[in-house]
Amino acid sequence: MRINKSKIFARLVIILILLYLVAPVLATVVYSFSTTWVKTILPEGLTFQWYQQILTNQDFMLSVLRSLFLAIMTTLVSMIIFLPVIFYVNVYNSKMKKHLKIITVLPYTIPGIILVTGLMELYQNIPIPKVIVLILAITFISLPLSYQTLDNTFVAHDYKAMFEQAMLLGDGPIKSFIKVILPNIKSSIFISMLLTFATAFGEYVITNLLLGGNFETLKIYMYILMQGNGQASSVLTTIYFVLLVVISAVLIFIMRHYNHHTNKDWKKGL
Amino acid sequence: MKNKLKIYLPFSLLILLILVMPLIVMVLASFQSINHPGFNLDNYRQIISNGYYHNAFINSFKIAIYSSVISMVVAIIGAWALTQLADSTKNILITIFNMSSSFAGVPLSFSLIILFGNAGMFKAITTALHLNDTFNVYSLSGLVTAYTFFEIPLGIMFLFPVFNGIDNEWHQASNVLGASKNFYIRNVVLPFILPNLVQVLILLFANAMGAYETAYALTSNTVVSVPTLIGYCINGEINPNIPLACAFATIFALIMWVMVTVGNLVIKRHKGGIR
Repeated sequence: MRINKSKIFARLVIILILLYLVAPVLATVVYSFSTTWVKTILPEGLTFQWYQQILTNQDFMLSVLRSLFLAIMTTLVSMIIFLPVIFYVNVYNSKMKKHLKIITVLPYTIPGIILVTGLMELYQNIPIPKVIVLILAITFISLPLSYQTLDNTFVAHDYKAMFEQAMLLGDGPIKSFIKVILPNIKSSIFISMLLTFATAFGEYVITNLLLGGNFETLKIYMYILMQGNGQASSVLTTIYFVLLVVISAVLIFIMRHYNHHTNKDWKKGL
Repeated sequence: MKNKLKIYLPFSLLILLILVMPLIVMVLASFQSINHPGFNLDNYRQIISNGYYHNAFINSFKIAIYSSVISMVVAIIGAWALTQLADSTKNILITIFNMSSSFAGVPLSFSLIILFGNAGMFKAITTALHLNDTFNVYSLSGLVTAYTFFEIPLGIMFLFPVFNGIDNEWHQASNVLGASKNFYIRNVVLPFILPNLVQVLILLFANAMGAYETAYALTSNTVVSVPTLIGYCINGEINPNIPLACAFATIFALIMWVMVTVGNLVIKRHKGGIR
């Protein structure tokens, strides 16, 4: 049975790769519960004290709030800017779609470190709050995610006819869009928002360099902790990992629940 | 017409303010030195004449080559294995790979330090067993290892759609026509996937070359690379020098642009050769 053999081999390969990828995370999780672990095969004892220490720490709470603020703002701005454009090119202007597609891959070809150099040079002496520049920059970085998730969602129905009928019935374009289009694409919108949220929540390069570490987000706080308190930062890493797991679980749930037809394509962009 | 403007304007402004203008200003600023006013090549001269800076470029190149090639090999096997599984499992696994590729940077570096660092688990276990542990995570090879943790899942995610596109009927067709398995792989599968493989490899290479967060968090004191150097030029505690950062970033962007262009040319030529 050749076919079975190759299936078993395939499973083995995937398991090995997953084990490799997960090993450091598992080590960190164990470390976060251990008292000390220096010259022994297993940690000397288990404890919750590091969790208590972190979760009651004000710096930690503030850093989470800052990251949340950044993530929510970016998600909103990216939806407001990208959704109308993606809707419009899909429904009315397929010629423009080709050009848009090229623009949407640009964030991939330009690493954050190069982007932030340009942003720093341009905005260093302009009196705009840097946080606004930061939110716009992360919005730009999230463009491929939003585009790939939302683009394919417009293939399913004749949205042009639906949209125009709503307009004929006397609603304005924004109202028509919200009433007729939005309910049909809500799972794609949710996935797109979740991915943008995760990107912004974990952003480091631009946040750290543009604001010079003054805006202490979760990742920056994590880096600072890493320099001093190993146990506390293993707790933080575990929390961050759990957050990613939760986001992924929600994504898997939505994709299964709505039998999401775009899931083959948006992943190409991640 | 008015609606059209309303839709395109915010988007165009975003691209202009966050991408186009900063890049133009960056290139222009790279020709201005903090010591001499006016247009000059001081920054570039400095980069070309300084051995420390050469090292940064060489290191970045090495890290990118090693990590992208290693990850590519694993990702090819992984993406193939993924195509053999049931559809629902595929979807879950891809989301998991996506998640592990976003675990890059500070948390990844920290996890690796816990695993392999000076006070890490590996050290603890090897010390307890009186073994000799020679792997140094704060080195170039440590960085290459670190990069495989996000480059492998990234590679699998990019390669999976390609491998999934190989139609099983092709195999049957070539079988029916009497072709051997070797012939099928060499003349049917390879021409189809090779251009994509080159593209993904370039992508992984560029991604590794531009990665800042992991390099900064793991080896900023031990291994000098171009992204960390740019970071120091931007907000170094001693003397920030943004024009120099601009020159570095310009050269860096140019190298990547050349890589991508050459890669695309190779792909085009290859495709042309088949027809």
